[in-house]
Amino acid sequence: MVSPDWLALAPHGILGLTAMVLLLYDMIDPDSRNRLALASIATVGSLAALAASAWLLAVGVGPSESVSLFDGQLVVDGVALFFSVVFTTVAALVTVASYDYLADHSYQAEYYSLVVLATTGMVVLASANSLATAFVSLELVSLPSYALVAFLKTNRGSVEAGTKYFLIGALSSAVFVYGISLVYAVAGSLHFETLAAFFAEQGIEQAGVFGLGIVMIVGGVAFKTASVPFHFWAPEAYEGAPAPISGFLSSASKAAGFVLAFRAFNVAFSLDIAAVSGAIDWALLFQILAVVTMIVGNFAAAVQERVKRMLAYSSVGHAGYVLIGLAAITSGGAGGNSIVMGAAMMHLLVYGVMNTGAFLFVGMAEYWGVGRRFEDYNGLSKQAPMACVAMAIFMFSLAGLPPFGGFFSKYVLFLGAIQAGFWWLAAIGAVTSALSLYYYSRVVKAIWIEDPSADFRLRGRPVGLYAAVMLAGVLTVALLPAFGVGIEAAYDAASVLFA
Amino acid sequence: MVPVQWYLLLSAAMFCIGVFGVLTRRNALVILMSVELMLNAANVNLVAFSFQHGNLTGQTFALFTMALAAAEVAIGIGIVLVLYRNFEDIDVGLPTTMRW
Repeated sequence: MVSPDWLALAPHGILGLTAMVLLLYDMIDPDSRNRLALASIATVGSLAALAASAWLLAVGVGPSESVSLFDGQLVVDGVALFFSVVFTTVAALVTVASYDYLADHSYQAEYYSLVVLATTGMVVLASANSLATAFVSLELVSLPSYALVAFLKTNRGSVEAGTKYFLIGALSSAVFVYGISLVYAVAGSLHFETLAAFFAEQGIEQAGVFGLGIVMIVGGVAFKTASVPFHFWAPEAYEGAPAPISGFLSSASKAAGFVLAFRAFNVAFSLDIAAVSGAIDWALLFQILAVVTMIVGNFAAAVQERVKRMLAYSSVGHAGYVLIGLAAITSGGAGGNSIVMGAAMMHLLVYGVMNTGAFLFVGMAEYWGVGRRFEDYNGLSKQAPMACVAMAIFMFSLAGLPPFGGFFSKYVLFLGAIQAGFWWLAAIGAVTSALSLYYYSRVVKAIWIEDPSADFRLRGRPVGLYAAVMLAGVLTVALLPAFGVGIEAAYDAASVLFA
Repeated sequence: MVPVQWYLLLSAAMFCIGVFGVLTRRNALVILMSVELMLNAANVNLVAFSFQHGNLTGQTFALFTMALAAAEVAIGIGIVLVLYRNFEDIDVGLPTTMRW
């Protein structure tokens, strides 16, 4: 219980305020090079929002009680808070790491405020309870991301990545709005619960228009989560962007797309109504997307020569695993539904930590000026053993090897899919996971087993990057003993959507 | 009163023209204009059906869409500017430093 109600918006407010403080700092001291102050403000803000989310969960906002604000436009429940934890954790890791990565860049305050603004958008998106707030907050995530990807504005790769990301993003947000307008045309409302009540009462009369609208909304979600067939921007954007931003986009921004899909498709367009009335069986749509995304992402990752691009394609593959959480939903199977969706949420949490860590390790390699290909990483463990231990943990955890968090989240996800009767989804997931072990272990082999090809000494001790990589490593390991707590919270949160 | 189907046809036509522009043009600014056309197609729907349903949700949301379209263009023009500075052109087919 919180009182007054608006206290439930504490994470949103803290993040928005932090962004404003950063801009204010920039106004008072323009072109500031005080990296420590800027990075600290952003990190402290993210951690404060993380603490606020944890506090709200602790006082019982979530499974037992959800707070509805602004005439139901925003709702703070277990799902929103669970995802707030994911977003703010990733944001804190990224801002700590950016302290070193941005050492020689100007416009530092803008960079940090854009990161925090994007995080604000994600947290609002997690509580968005109508298509209008969902669209506005989705754009609040997207617009800063475009600018951040193109942040290295004299670097051709970064500008090219930003251009492609922006153009595909603008196209898919236009498709998304058109989908919203078609749903509004059928139902006359944008609010999730009103839509659900309308469809339950009247059925779906203009099934064609409604179905087209749903397909277009799925397109917008597929872009944000980097799922096939809207994944083309992902390898480009993740490879060209500054490495901390690649980690931020591939972990937090992906999770933001999924939380919108989880809420919209289970609350507003629930399968019970959408499929039974013959308008559209969106679970079938997500089954196709999940299979294609898992296969394309993992096979494309296996043939890459550059580490960052391999991670980019592997992130597409992981979007496919999480899509199982929507694909394995069955009409009327409330208990099984919340298990498979809770597992998908837990996978996003574990993935958020380990994938951010992996991208930050790549950022550290970029900071040292070692190349981008697998061979260039040869023998890094001789120079930076601790960071390489962390990287090995990330790689094995991403591949889903048993003693790590990534194994358990994939295990419960596939088990949930089998229990819901989708053994073939789990089978494809297991086979592609086995394939992923090949390309993840190439990195481990390069840094631990191969000898250094040239005699080089790493220059500089990037304290922030080191701290962030180690912290991500510790969190990945800590998610083992904490897995039970996390998965229970995820199950409870997911069951609210099927209530 | 114009039947509401005509508005749906108009907006679908606008949307398709926008998609066609995005797919065929190589100039980044023209692609941006085509995207605006697609967003405005959605606005036509929203306003027409707002009138049809007799509530103001659609009209209000159309205002939001316009504001966000303006914000998107502001970011887009900035990116097109750095694109021009790096590649001396705004042809989106030129930047190919990354290929799989």
